[in-house]
Amino acid sequence: MAPLPGIPGIPGSGLAKGLAVTLRTMTKRTVTAQYPDALPELPPRSRGVIALFEENCTVCMLCARECPDWCIYIDSHKETAPPAAPGGRERSRNVLDRFAIDFSLCMYCGICIEVCPFDALFWSPEFEYAETDILDLTHERDKLRDWMWTVPAPPALDPAAEEPKEIAAARKAAEKAAAAAEAARRDQGSRDDQDEGDA
Amino acid sequence: MDMTPDPAPPAQPLPEPRRLGPLARLAPEPMKVVLNWGRRYSLWVFNFGLACCAIEFIAASMSRHDFIRLGVIPFAPGPRQADLMIVSGTVTDKMAPAVKRLYEQMPEPKYVISFGACSNCGGPYWDSYSVTKGVDQIIPVDVYVPGCPPRPEALLQGILKLQEKIARESTGERYAPAKPSVQALTSGLVTPPAPAPGSGSGSGDTK
Amino acid sequence: MTETTIGIGGAAEGTDMVLNIGPQHPSTHGVLRLRLVLDGERIRSAEPIVGYMHRGAEKLFEARDYRQIVMLANRHDWLSAFSNELGVVLAVERMLGMEVPERAVWTRTLLAELNRVLNHLMFLGSYPLELGGITPIFYAFTEREELQQVMEEVSGGRMHYMFNRVGGLKEDLPNGWTGRARATVAAVRSRMGRIDDLVLGNEIFRGRTRGVGVLSQQDVHGFGVSGPIARASGVDFDLRRDEPYLAYGELADTMRVVTRTEGDCLARFEVLLEQTHVALDLADACLDRLTDLPPGPINQRLPKVLKAPEGHTYAWTENPLGLNGYYLVSKGEKTPYRLKLRSASFNNIQALTVLLPGTLVADMVAILGSMFFVVGDVDK
Repeated sequence: MAPLPGIPGIPGSGLAKGLAVTLRTMTKRTVTAQYPDALPELPPRSRGVIALFEENCTVCMLCARECPDWCIYIDSHKETAPPAAPGGRERSRNVLDRFAIDFSLCMYCGICIEVCPFDALFWSPEFEYAETDILDLTHERDKLRDWMWTVPAPPALDPAAEEPKEIAAARKAAEKAAAAAEAARRDQGSRDDQDEGDA
Repeated sequence: MDMTPDPAPPAQPLPEPRRLGPLARLAPEPMKVVLNWGRRYSLWVFNFGLACCAIEFIAASMSRHDFIRLGVIPFAPGPRQADLMIVSGTVTDKMAPAVKRLYEQMPEPKYVISFGACSNCGGPYWDSYSVTKGVDQIIPVDVYVPGCPPRPEALLQGILKLQEKIARESTGERYAPAKPSVQALTSGLVTPPAPAPGSGSGSGDTK
Repeated sequence: MTETTIGIGGAAEGTDMVLNIGPQHPSTHGVLRLRLVLDGERIRSAEPIVGYMHRGAEKLFEARDYRQIVMLANRHDWLSAFSNELGVVLAVERMLGMEVPERAVWTRTLLAELNRVLNHLMFLGSYPLELGGITPIFYAFTEREELQQVMEEVSGGRMHYMFNRVGGLKEDLPNGWTGRARATVAAVRSRMGRIDDLVLGNEIFRGRTRGVGVLSQQDVHGFGVSGPIARASGVDFDLRRDEPYLAYGELADTMRVVTRTEGDCLARFEVLLEQTHVALDLADACLDRLTDLPPGPINQRLPKVLKAPEGHTYAWTENPLGLNGYYLVSKGEKTPYRLKLRSASFNNIQALTVLLPGTLVADMVAILGSMFFVVGDVDK
């Protein structure tokens, strides 16, 4: 056996080096996390459980349709509300009856959260929901709503990143409003044309 | 087992336990507490590592998470020396006989943790032609840990859950012949979604 | 299987004994099964029996649209989830003729290299474990945990990142992540020496691997072996250099293809160890480039329903374990007509049929472990 370059050919020196690593590590602090006593610090993006903000849900079924293993169950019915103004049309809207996610089936991909157009679904890093009965792993809407309280704020993005589209939209709206207000104030000052403020 | 529908089964005459000695049922209550305490904190685990979740299982046994702290000992040389089997990963139909056989080799009392979506109910592969839809179709499962794969802390929590269960149990109930049938384990999972109004109907079909 | 396999002490055909290893056996991480015909201590012939982990992923691909496929594709080789996702999205992007933003390209390269380190660390730890040294895997997993923390912060997942999307990545990096990633890469690199000291210099380890299980270049070509195993036999082929995808073309000065000529177990381990160092260097280079890049998007706006045009394409990537290819046939629908998966481990373990005969049973574990396979990658 040819000695490694840098390893002298003294028999047992390789073993001694390995033992030296062990000895050095012995003097260092342990890396063990004391889980049941100390909860881990999880990053906000961590995919632990899906929370439902059911007030935002419009029963569009996009999440249930896009789920790769179809583990979201949604039931709803239509309700018709009387027209707002007399003589107007009746308004119908979907009312959520059941929203359940089968976490024994869920593959934690986050597609449902991504496709949700009304921001009704969120990731929460919670992971402590092992059950002794598999039926309990299907979380109904109450439980999903409860997970909402554990949803952290999303992390700030890298400075080089593009603005998130929600912020971009909000900023555009704010700028537009500011411009409108500015224009209105100018109009107030000059009292030239009242319609210009709308532009 | 928690699978029985009503939490308090009627006090039936204790049947002859299958594998315990005749004295086991005569054991006084403090003795049972001691036995349960002993079982709880020396779970020799047999890892049925099959897929992705096995890596997280290994991670849970490594220095960062280290489940030996909880009394789970991952050095069982084989199923015959193990108390706890952790099925982590996809059970395929080809593998299922081996899972069952190894489970049967384990001595009583034995516990099973199903770790991850695949062994819970097939997970991402539930519509595959070659995957068993959940390990509970072939062996009884005590604790289901959700995740794909679950993080190591989730396994630790599952183990804590199992330990609570062991602390509560009595051997008489455990070995009563009225075991839940496979039917009880598998039936009535979900009601199929009603035909949704508008766009949603029929979308779950696989092509 | 029509033949009856019999354990040790059972009947035998002639004077040979048929020994069954697996499917659940500590030395075959995963559920590979080997059928060995023994003549005393020597292995006369060996046959890997695969299929215990066959999950039919290729068939499932056909029932899922392109976004959903990404989520399924990362699970066949669970140690290199990011690289698996990459192959699918590269194939779909090529079909669509889609240009990926530069920021996404560099971030993908970075994450792919971090994933490579994660994958290699697993084997750097588990291989000594199979040879009887328990300690190194603890060190390897300590490093893995650090890296997984970084990956989780950016993607939300510890193993299955699901961070690739057609046209880029899911979302941009969190603020300050690059700094933390750089610190972690530096920390992991500073501690890689421990594996050198613990394993590589160990006389017992070298004695058990040097000259054992020599894989010849002909066999590498014959079986289509790829990745670190092929490079350990002197086959100098690496897609990152020879057919650059992502940003590897611009990383040519950092990119080093590690090769050995011996082809034995030790050479395979050395290649893996050195590749880890290279991957860490590449990650640093990517981080450098990421800071210099102008601000920009990280993904492309996709149509509501993504349909690949009719046609077919083949995208291959240098996965940590070897060549990983996706042959995508589309009929212009939102699901692929066929997505064939060429996975590295499947070809790599076929070489066992020529590697094992003639060796001792005691060396079988050493050879098997040095093939660095993932069973899901074998069986798909």
